[in-house]
Amino acid sequence: MLRLAIDAEGFPLGKGPMVMLVLFLISTLFIFGRSEEEGEDLEFWIFANTHYEEYQARVPIFEAENPGVNVRLINFGGTMHDKLLAAMLSNFGAPDLVEVEITSIGRFLKGAIDEIGFVDLRPRLERESWMDKLVVSRFTPWSYRGRIFGVPHDLHPVVLLYRDDLFKAAGVEMTAVETWDDFIAAGKKATRDLDGDGKIDQYAIVLDRRTESDYFSLLLQQGGGFFDEDGTVIIDSELAIETLEFFTALFNAHEIATPVYGTWHGDPSNFAAMQDGKILSILAPDWYVGILKSQVPQMSGKWKAIGMPAWQPGGRRTTTRGGTMIGITKQCENPDRAWELLKFTYFDRPGLVNRYETTRIIPPLKAAWDAPIFKEPDVYLGGQPLGELFIELAPDLPARYQNPYWSEAADLLNDAIFAAVTEKQTPREALTELAEKVRALIAKDAGRWGEQH
Amino acid sequence: MKIPTHHNEPQGIIKNWNRQQKIAPYLFIAPFYLLFVVFMGYPLISSLVMSLYEMRGFQSRIFVGLGNFTDLFGDPIFWKSLRNTAYFAIGTLTLQLPIALLLAILLNSKFVKGKNVLRLAFFAPVLVAGVFVAIIFNLVYDQRAGLVNQEFVIFGKEIGWLNEEKYVMPAVILTGVWQWAGFNMIYFLAGLQGIRQELYEAAAVDGANWWQAFIHVTLPSLRPVIAFVFVVSMIGSLQLFDLPYILTNGGEPADAGSTIVMYLYKNGFQFMRLGYAATIGWVLFFIIAIVSIIQLKLLGIFREE
Repeated sequence: MLRLAIDAEGFPLGKGPMVMLVLFLISTLFIFGRSEEEGEDLEFWIFANTHYEEYQARVPIFEAENPGVNVRLINFGGTMHDKLLAAMLSNFGAPDLVEVEITSIGRFLKGAIDEIGFVDLRPRLERESWMDKLVVSRFTPWSYRGRIFGVPHDLHPVVLLYRDDLFKAAGVEMTAVETWDDFIAAGKKATRDLDGDGKIDQYAIVLDRRTESDYFSLLLQQGGGFFDEDGTVIIDSELAIETLEFFTALFNAHEIATPVYGTWHGDPSNFAAMQDGKILSILAPDWYVGILKSQVPQMSGKWKAIGMPAWQPGGRRTTTRGGTMIGITKQCENPDRAWELLKFTYFDRPGLVNRYETTRIIPPLKAAWDAPIFKEPDVYLGGQPLGELFIELAPDLPARYQNPYWSEAADLLNDAIFAAVTEKQTPREALTELAEKVRALIAKDAGRWGEQH
Repeated sequence: MKIPTHHNEPQGIIKNWNRQQKIAPYLFIAPFYLLFVVFMGYPLISSLVMSLYEMRGFQSRIFVGLGNFTDLFGDPIFWKSLRNTAYFAIGTLTLQLPIALLLAILLNSKFVKGKNVLRLAFFAPVLVAGVFVAIIFNLVYDQRAGLVNQEFVIFGKEIGWLNEEKYVMPAVILTGVWQWAGFNMIYFLAGLQGIRQELYEAAAVDGANWWQAFIHVTLPSLRPVIAFVFVVSMIGSLQLFDLPYILTNGGEPADAGSTIVMYLYKNGFQFMRLGYAATIGWVLFFIIAIVSIIQLKLLGIFREE
């Protein structure tokens, strides 16, 4: 090196390029000269930080139990799905295992069924009898045309989280609320102008009118959806129209709902409004409770939870929102080994208990539900055992059928909901127009590609 | 075996030297062209070919000729995205650049104190990543708790900056002004400092007032800088993506914040319509090319001095 430095003066292009050349050579040696670790590599891509932290802690146990296996966990954050898409398109560079988010999976299901980039896990799940051990409705978001491309990470049951103190101050006992009619009656009492300035200061519920999240949750609760099991568009069904009429009425006719503060339920503005007592309730999946705990810990003890109000007495008291799957890609060279890691991260009871402890996410494996942690009082909810409520509701989760057109459909559904709530269109007009658009899109593709695509 | 002689050695060296001289320039520029071909040339041609196909899944494609282009021209969301993008571009040219020029003139004036601090203050927003700008302005524009509605209730009511369709693009434009005006100010400032003082002195001798000096000396002298800033800002505006994508949560409500590049991204990555996305890319390329040529022509850049 000393000699090189001395000779730099004599380098034809001068000192700078000489230094750059040396750095280039060193980094090239570093990159290509790294000795491969002994044994077999399993690459596992993740997009959620909490999942990454969980697996980081647990993977060494798997590696110790499987000598010679090196698991490489890579957390790409929000850009992971685009990277996966690029890797599958180029047929190169995809991981062995990957987690995919529920609103992203649709785009990976386009094309002929045999061209889909994930391994069909149905044979393995059936052979090892895992289907019965999990909540079976949670396979629907990850299934298409009879094949199962992913195993559910979660259930994401939804409850109604409410401010017990403020409802009580309005003379409402929320534990008595069983149906949406009961909720509207309670909400009318609790939605109030406290200072007499003519403006409402507290709303019974906060709902997102810009995206499909709350409306679609309500529709699923009713047993509806955008597509049915066969992929038929059913968003203009009477059930869907009635649900949107109900949703818009909460804002306009009953005036008990406020649009979400900011752009979504996790917006800091929305949390600020909660702290100010402007929001009295929210439809909350298990993961959202985890977010509340980390983002607004100062609200500990102020919330309580009940099952969602039912559409009819005795009806379903929950729905589902969000979700993640784990899948094995077709680029994986050893699917058997990947399957073992999948089972270790998704079906291992101690791991799932630990997951609930850190994220409040209820696992789909029923055998984990009797762990004492799920019955423990939750300080954030004033001592109410929230895990118990989620588990009580979990077996009744509605199915959510997946479709390759979900991304386009959801984008258009957002517009339809906004048009209906802002009274630019009636719910019937908005959903009829939406259904026609999506049907036309599917028909056009079917004309070009045939029904099998 | 040929034995080199003293006679033919210098000739051989000269020949070799001549050959090296011919090849050397190509070797020097080869890395650029190699990288250009791999990272620009091939993708450009590939995307042009792709725009003539409809792609489905990861392997299937069908030749549709100009079908994607005709579909695009009949697509209402594309036109809405184009309108939004044009709205932003016009807002940038009519609001952001005059503000940048005004700031530059103020900071170039002898009468303003603390110029360095002010320059840094106006330039600083450009150092903030677009994602963070969007997150910050999400709070600023919040309908009920945001700074704008809390402190400047100039319209006599709470405005749903990001919740009502008609206010979404103005909110994006204002955010763009905050972020980029200081950056463009630096270009104008550099241009102003390059104008010879003698020109102003001559104008003063001829009896020109401040305004006349500005119109007849400053602006003509700044013409190349103005042309550069206009064209670069216009191209940047037409490529707008990250700011509205985060600020409006993907263009919501009702695609009021959707831009051409956002629509391209959605089609390519969310809807897996790669051929259609490539078509949007090429249409955007032609729009940028045409608009830039018109701008440069109007600003007289092609005119011989």
